[in-house]
Amino acid sequence: MSALGQPRERFRASAESVLDNRHTQGALDAATARLRDARLAAWGLLPDVEDLRERGREIRQLTIADLDRYLDEFSRALEARGGHVRFAATADEATAAIREICRERGAKVVAKGKSMASEEIRLNEALERDGLRVVETDLGEYILQLAGEHPAHIIAPAIEKTVEDVAALLGAVDGEELRPELEELTAAARRQLRAVFESADVGITGANFAVAETGSIVLVTNEGNGRLVSALPRTHVVILGLERLVPTTRDLAVLLQLLARSATGQPLTSYTTVLTGPRRPGEQDGPDELHVIVLDNGRSQLRRGRYREMLNCIRCGACLNVCPVYRKSGGDAYGPVYSGPMGAVLVPLLVGLEHAPSLPHASSLCGACTEACPVKIPLHELLLDLRRDLVAERVAPLWERLAFRLWALAWSTPLGYRFTTAAARLGAPLAGRLPGPGRAWASQRALPELAGRFRDRRR
Amino acid sequence: MRVQLFATCVGDLIFPDAVEDAERLLRSAGYEVEFPPRQVCCGQPAFNSGHHAAARRIGRGFVRAFARDAPVVVPSGSCATMLSHYLPELVEVDPFEVWELSAFLDAAGFEPPRTNDGRTVAYHDSCHMLRELRIAEPPRRLLRRSGAVVSALLRPDLCCGFGGTFSVRQPEISAAMADDKLAGAGAVDALVTADPGCLMQLQGRAARTGGPRVVHLATALARGVA
Repeated sequence: MSALGQPRERFRASAESVLDNRHTQGALDAATARLRDARLAAWGLLPDVEDLRERGREIRQLTIADLDRYLDEFSRALEARGGHVRFAATADEATAAIREICRERGAKVVAKGKSMASEEIRLNEALERDGLRVVETDLGEYILQLAGEHPAHIIAPAIEKTVEDVAALLGAVDGEELRPELEELTAAARRQLRAVFESADVGITGANFAVAETGSIVLVTNEGNGRLVSALPRTHVVILGLERLVPTTRDLAVLLQLLARSATGQPLTSYTTVLTGPRRPGEQDGPDELHVIVLDNGRSQLRRGRYREMLNCIRCGACLNVCPVYRKSGGDAYGPVYSGPMGAVLVPLLVGLEHAPSLPHASSLCGACTEACPVKIPLHELLLDLRRDLVAERVAPLWERLAFRLWALAWSTPLGYRFTTAAARLGAPLAGRLPGPGRAWASQRALPELAGRFRDRRR
Repeated sequence: MRVQLFATCVGDLIFPDAVEDAERLLRSAGYEVEFPPRQVCCGQPAFNSGHHAAARRIGRGFVRAFARDAPVVVPSGSCATMLSHYLPELVEVDPFEVWELSAFLDAAGFEPPRTNDGRTVAYHDSCHMLRELRIAEPPRRLLRRSGAVVSALLRPDLCCGFGGTFSVRQPEISAAMADDKLAGAGAVDALVTADPGCLMQLQGRAARTGGPRVVHLATALARGVA
């Protein structure tokens, strides 16, 4: 199974342990509410957010519709500026390409910027098996690397950690006692990471966008680590999800406005880095070599049909922050990489429903995600579509398919309805005890009383 | 004028009093209320679980049971959504004229009886009603006209955790969501909702945890929340 998939029962089991952890619940509640409020405030300051969302959606749709052309244009533009582009169909092809780059350059230390695509291909494990030291330099990712955990949120990876957790983890690096105060903690992280930036042979980042007309890679960060990772090491490797393209810099401007506001509520993030090729003669900064690995890993299967809209996702995390399920379950329940509504849709599409059968049902279909999506992906409707596919592809369990079939047969006539509901009334005392939905309901709630049908009063 | 009342399966089986109250409100608003006797369910439980063949079978039953010459009024936001947004495409029929109860009464300019003078209630938006039907003000307006003070819920945007089969697939998360909703109501005489699904979820959880009284909007208007 790939890094993304998981067995049916895992979601519930993982969520249950997170529900029991008051500490994590508090952190999730506070952080998602803060990010949501920030987005709404930032959207509110725009003259016409609906117009901007519509433009963003249109740009994404046009790009995906003509993706081959834009990928081609991007590759040619970047190669003209001295960069190298390679396509990787699978996670293994991508990690093999990056391992080869590191091996050829005799690399020992790799500094990484935040990249969900690198989580998706389990890059760190692959490089560490080759004996490399790989260090995450995004503060949240660094904290999780120290904790031996995976990101719980695509934008705020350490969302479930409190300041006390962070003090303990950072303090353990150099065996010092750190007070749980932001300045002291960021200073410690800065000290620890500075040494990594200076010694790294290869820097690896993801990419928020890539501009086809100029061959540029765009990084959106708040800590500046993306800049250091892409400028100090002699070799910079970018993992680019193949759908991250935008046609022009004008289009980029629209999507940047949406991304920062929707992710953190900022008009722009602290650093927006546009990299166009490696360092050229006469320039002071930048790597000697720039390699872009264009990652497919299941994405191009989405390009046809109704799931194409999921390729419009700009990875802002707005859907996570409004999701009433995510704020209870936390990120891990969805698997180690993509979480929340976008993860519940994307993961089954990338790995196949049979490898993520619980994710389409990890939602109450409340629609808050669709309302929050800056590029208007109908996330809850895609979840409904995936549920239909679960049944059509017989991934849904046999008992469930039989139960619905029998139920529909019984309730297709008023007589069948009368008969089965009368029987249900007789059997009601057992409902909470027999295995099945009744017992699952009764485990948390009082079973409703079947008081006598309205239609019988009406006669 | 005649209306067709769709009780919904949850209404018919579990909340017959609320359906009766809905009927009473419609009558006092001056409507002749017909209860099409062959009605069963809108098919939503199957549809939302991906079982389209089953949902289609139930949906055709709805189409057979209801006439085209009078509006269908439903005391349930989510069933009204199923009927207006999904059923036409599913069973390939023209949409029925479907109204959620409070939107219908509000549009008709209905003056509810002053059953709630001096009472404070909180109103819980059902997700389908809020986000797909975009009905948020009518139920609040009716409650206010009945004399109630409508206090704001903490995080009114959050789902109560019902979500149809979600409530039994993920019972622990579902209950935790209900707990947040119940706790967010604060000190009120009742928490009011216009959706039998949310009502079943919130009542059922409140019965276990000692949360506030939860009542259907139709009951709150027809009989008051006390």
